[in-house]
Parts: sequence; C-alpha cells; structure tokens
Amino acid sequence: MRDWLQCIAACSAMTFASTFAAQAEPLNVVATFSIIGDFAAEVGGERIALKALVGPDSDSHVYEPRPADAMALAQADVVLTNGLEFEGFMTRLIASSGTQAEIATLTDGIETMEEPGGGHYHYNNGQAIFHAGAHDPHAWQSVANAKAYVRNIAAAFCAADAEGCPVYEINATRYADALDVLDAEIRGLVATLPGDRRTVVVAHNAFRYFEVAYGIHFLSPQGVSTESEAAAADVAGLIREIRETGAAAIFAENISDTRLLERIAAEAGLTLAGTLYSDALSGPEGPAPTYLAMMRHNAGVIAAALDAI
Amino acid sequence: MYRQLAGATAMAMVLAGTAFAQEHDHDHEDVTLYRVFVGDHAAPRVTVVDLEAHDHEEEGHDHADESWTFETTGQVKLFGVAGGAVVAAVQSDDDAVHFFTSGISFHDHGDHADIEVSDPAAINTVLTGPRPFHLVDHGGSVIINYDQGGYAEIIDAHHLSHGEVEITRLPQSEPHHGFVARLGDHWLTTVGTPAPAEGKEAAPRPGLQEVTIAGEAVGDLATCTAIHGEAFSGAYLAAGCREGVLTATAGADGVVFDMLEYPADLPQGVTTGTILGATGVQVFLGNYGPNGLVVIDPADAPHFRYIELPFRRVDFVLDPANPAHGYVLTEDGSLHRLNLLQAAITGSAKVTEPYSMDGHWNDPRPRIAMAGDDILMTDPDAGLLRVISAETLEEEDTIALEGTPYNLAVVGGSGMTH
Repeated sequence: MRDWLQCIAACSAMTFASTFAAQAEPLNVVATFSIIGDFAAEVGGERIALKALVGPDSDSHVYEPRPADAMALAQADVVLTNGLEFEGFMTRLIASSGTQAEIATLTDGIETMEEPGGGHYHYNNGQAIFHAGAHDPHAWQSVANAKAYVRNIAAAFCAADAEGCPVYEINATRYADALDVLDAEIRGLVATLPGDRRTVVVAHNAFRYFEVAYGIHFLSPQGVSTESEAAAADVAGLIREIRETGAAAIFAENISDTRLLERIAAEAGLTLAGTLYSDALSGPEGPAPTYLAMMRHNAGVIAAALDAI
Repeated sequence: MYRQLAGATAMAMVLAGTAFAQEHDHDHEDVTLYRVFVGDHAAPRVTVVDLEAHDHEEEGHDHADESWTFETTGQVKLFGVAGGAVVAAVQSDDDAVHFFTSGISFHDHGDHADIEVSDPAAINTVLTGPRPFHLVDHGGSVIINYDQGGYAEIIDAHHLSHGEVEITRLPQSEPHHGFVARLGDHWLTTVGTPAPAEGKEAAPRPGLQEVTIAGEAVGDLATCTAIHGEAFSGAYLAAGCREGVLTATAGADGVVFDMLEYPADLPQGVTTGTILGATGVQVFLGNYGPNGLVVIDPADAPHFRYIELPFRRVDFVLDPANPAHGYVLTEDGSLHRLNLLQAAITGSAKVTEPYSMDGHWNDPRPRIAMAGDDILMTDPDAGLLRVISAETLEEEDTIALEGTPYNLAVVGGSGMTH
C-alpha cells in the first residue's frame, strides 16, 4: 500500500510540475473542514492555494467562525462546503465576508439520508401537513459518496479556472481510482467479520452512510449533530440497546469529549476500543491525516475490535 | 400589518399514524415583522410600534391601532430577551424591572421558523430591588444585577418567554456595579470591594470570579481591574478592564480566563467599558475612549484594531443581518457604517442635528438599534423614531412619538405562517 501511495504522490508531482509553471496565480480555495480540504488538495494540487476553516480534530457542528475566516472567504475564488446544514456557521460567514466566490455544495447530486425522526407536522384547517426533516450531512462516510464530492470539486475548479481544468480532471480521475481501491478494501475487511458481530457504539450518529455502505451497525447517544447533549433518557435507552443487540465495541471520536462514552462503556461492561475519525482528520502525526488514511484507520479499528473474540 | 409574501413549499407526502397527510405544495406566508419598544426620557412610559405597520401607512392603513403604550415606574433601559419573546424594562433610578411580552414568538423547525404574532402585553410580575442595572441574557438565563443589593436575580428564559417570572437569587460578596453571567454550566460574577473607610476612595472592582449558584467562589479570581461591560460572541465572554479585555470560555475542566492586554500602539490612558458581541463571526466591538472604538478578536492576533471616529461617540450597534457591519452615531449627527473585518469606517451620512456629548451621560441623546435592513434611531429633541436604510444610510421613514423618545429595543424578524 505504501508503494501505491508513493506512486500516486510521484505521479501527482509530475502532473503538477508540467502544468503549474504556466499558471500565474493559484486558485484561492476555501474548504470548510479538513476532510473536504483533503479532497480539494488531491484535485487541485499545486494549482490551488487552500485554506480549511475547521482544522484537524475540530468539530464543524459547533465551530465559531473568526474574522480571519471571513477575510479568507472574501479573497476566495472557490468556496467548498458540505451542505446539508453541516456547517451551521457558513450562512453567517458568507454574509459577513461579502464573498463573490462560487459556493460549491459538494453533496449536490448525492442520494442523502433524512435524519432519523426528522420532520414535523403542521395542522392547518384540520389537515396534517408534513414538513420533511433535515438530511444527515455525513455523506463522506461512504466512499462512493466521496467520489461524488471529488467530481463536484473538479467541476467547481474547472468553472473557476478553465485553463487548469485538464489537470483537475486528471487528478480527480486518479484520486477516484484510489477511492475505488479503498472501497474494495473496506468491504473486504468487513466481510471477514462474523455476521453476529456487526454492531458498535460511537459518540454521535455520524456513521449512517458507512452503515448503509458497509453493513456495520452504529449506536450512539447523540443525534447527527454534536450541538445537543445526549439526554439521560437517551443514554439509558442506549445502554439497554447495547445489551439487546450485543454491541461488541465502543469507540471514542476524535472531535468529542470521551467522558460520556467512558460512562456508557462502564455501565455496558465494555471498554473503549479506540478512536474513530468522524467529522475531521487527525493532524499530520495522527493516524488519519488524509481521507484515505482516515477511512482505512476507521475500518481497521472497527474490524480489529469486532474480530477480537 | 405584515409584509406578506405568498409562497408555496414543496414537501414530501407522508402518511403517519392517524394523521391525514395531504399534498405538500401548501400555501404559506412569509412574514417579516419588527416591533419597536421605545422608552421615554422623562415620562415613565414605553411606547410600542410595529415597523411594518408604519410602512403601510401610505397605502391607506391606519396604524393608530397598531401602537401600544405601557406605564412603568420610571425611565427605562430596554432589552429584548428570551429570544425576543419578552422585553425587559430596567429602571435603575426607580428600583424596578417591568417585563412585556413582545407578542412575537418564533418556533424553530430547523429548516424554517414559524412566527406567531399577537399584541404586546405587560407581565404582571414586577421585580423590585436596590438599583437594578446590568442585564445579561445568555445560555437560557436572564440575569439582572442589583448594584446596591449585593445580589443578582436569575430568571429562566424559557419560562419568561411564557410570561412566568421565577427568581433564583445569586448572592455576591459586596454590592457593586457589576454583572452576573452564565457560561455553559458555570456562573460568573464581577467582584466588588468593601465600602472604603471614611475619607478614602473606593477601590476598583478587582475582577471576575466563578461561583456556585449559591455564590460560593470556585477557583481563583480572574484579575480585571474596574471591570465593566460584558458581551458574548461565539464561545467567548468578554469584559472590559483597565489592563485590557478579559475573556472567558467554558473548557472541559472549567472556565478558562485570558487577559488580552491593550497593545502599545493603541491610544493610552483610555479603556474599554462597553462591549458588543457579534452573532455571525466571533468578534467584539468595544468603545475605546470618547472618540474611538476597538474591534476585538478574542482568538487570533492582533486582538485589537482601533477605529478612530471623527467626533465623540453617541451610540453604536452591531448588525446581526450583516455581521461584518456595525454602525456608530457621533455627536455631529452623523451615522457611520463600520466594517469590522477592515476595522474601518466605510460610509457616513448626516442623519440628525448635532447632540453634544458635553453634559450628563444620561441627557437625552439618540439611541440606535437594528431592525433587519434598517437602523432605527430615536431622536429625542425631534420627538421622532427615524428609520434609516443600512444599505444607503438614507432616512426612509419617520415615526412621530409623544414626549422624548430615548432608549429602545427591537424584537421580531422573519418567519412562516401556515
């Protein structure tokens, strides 16, 4: 695998070297958080100057934008967002910055999942009218969706920098191939697990796309956002569910305080089996500094915990 | 009465339980309504007007029925609290706090908010106590400091939004002109100093202290000499001090304090004592001397950027709809647009006659507040509420009010009715 990664890096360097010399100014790109920042770096290479607003190990759900973020947006050519209300701060930040940049929503075209229990009714003249709920924003947790993110990024870069479009498309295709390899690797790992050991616990409900794609069932005390704390009743219900489903492992998240998980683990008779990277990459020294590394790490620790009978 | 925009929302068709679902392209109305509460400088009175009602006057609407008047004990300083569902009228010189339900409430549904509108009304419960002054509304609690009482009173904001005034009293070590604020699960209070011996001057308030709700100190005092003024923005509480601006955040292991000292390149000999917190970006705007303001970035250096004003400042406000902007009125009668990101004045216009800042601090001078895309300004000498476009700084409308209009608070916004 390391050889493969080195090849990708070398090939990318050659591609960029042959095209970058002619480019006067790099495309100013702002990505809202580290994971789509990594996608952007893969597609844009040296043709872009990249700033990710929410950095490694940080939680986009509760991020508070800074003046420097607004200034970065003001100077951006392209702004990459996840959408689906993941970056609750973005509407305000865009308004603050007065940016003229193209705002690309990377979940466009993806078949998204509604939040569990979402939606509400209005009663109007005796009739119930249903308003659909919000959609789960963590679409990148399926590698197939990640490929759609990459396609959208390439399209956004091409729209802003037609001259660089061939480079972006080559880079996107090359990276999509790497994602296909990753996808097959995760499926292979999960296939080795016993059929009755496919349930785990994690802090917030960020892995539903992973669940649908790869067949690992996730339980969590929090909803799809970390903004709301888990209620005591939710925690008690979760502990019952852990026992009923025979959940075999419980994981911390890199963006969350572990204290609640530790309490749940103790009450359910489990021990924390490691840390999953849900909504942010790790720093460069950590185990998940890129999306490829993050997904391999997550799949690896889940498989190791469920396989440890 | 409202700005009504007919619309239709595409919704998915769902059947659930016994509820009858229907085609989801149902009619709704987008409603924008701002309601303005204005306190009189001399009379114990609050007048309430609907901004949009006034807009419709030229179309033949009679807006006389859409204004209300409430009596108070004395001169009021007004605060929209509990998400704008209630307006608090703090009467420092008359030891009273009245509350009014604003008549405008929002119900958040994630993708949109529903708005409900009714008449404003006085809440029967009136708080009394020795010199109520600073009011802090944050984290689900509305807290009023009683400067001569040595305590603060805490009201649950949710209950207050339903007209219920239930008090929890937080005792302080000494009566003082200060504030109590809630920061996550923590309570913070300014600390007063004991009364000085005869012939001695009072020592300045030494700082900010975390306490339990029973008033018992937790951890060490955070030094902030002569602490005055507080605001929240993002994760931060900021307060002005002689040394600089003290920030507080709720960390995993308790409150984290940080003193941002005034840098040497700022004018010396003046301090920040009034701070506003932006809602869109984590940034504060504070006064800094009579003719200056500072943009305060609590997280990134430079923490202070100075804006020099051409004349002494009368009042200033931040723009929730455009968080990069603030507005300041100076004593020459000019309104200036501030860009907080650039720390610069980006537009100015004459909006009223001059109001000198010489004289008593509480002399009748204009006060400004935001209402969507408009800046509202009381003009006490003219007996007017002026409606000024935030985009052009040009006057769009005037509303004549009895007496001497002074302090104001604006509630309202946009929502959907079904």
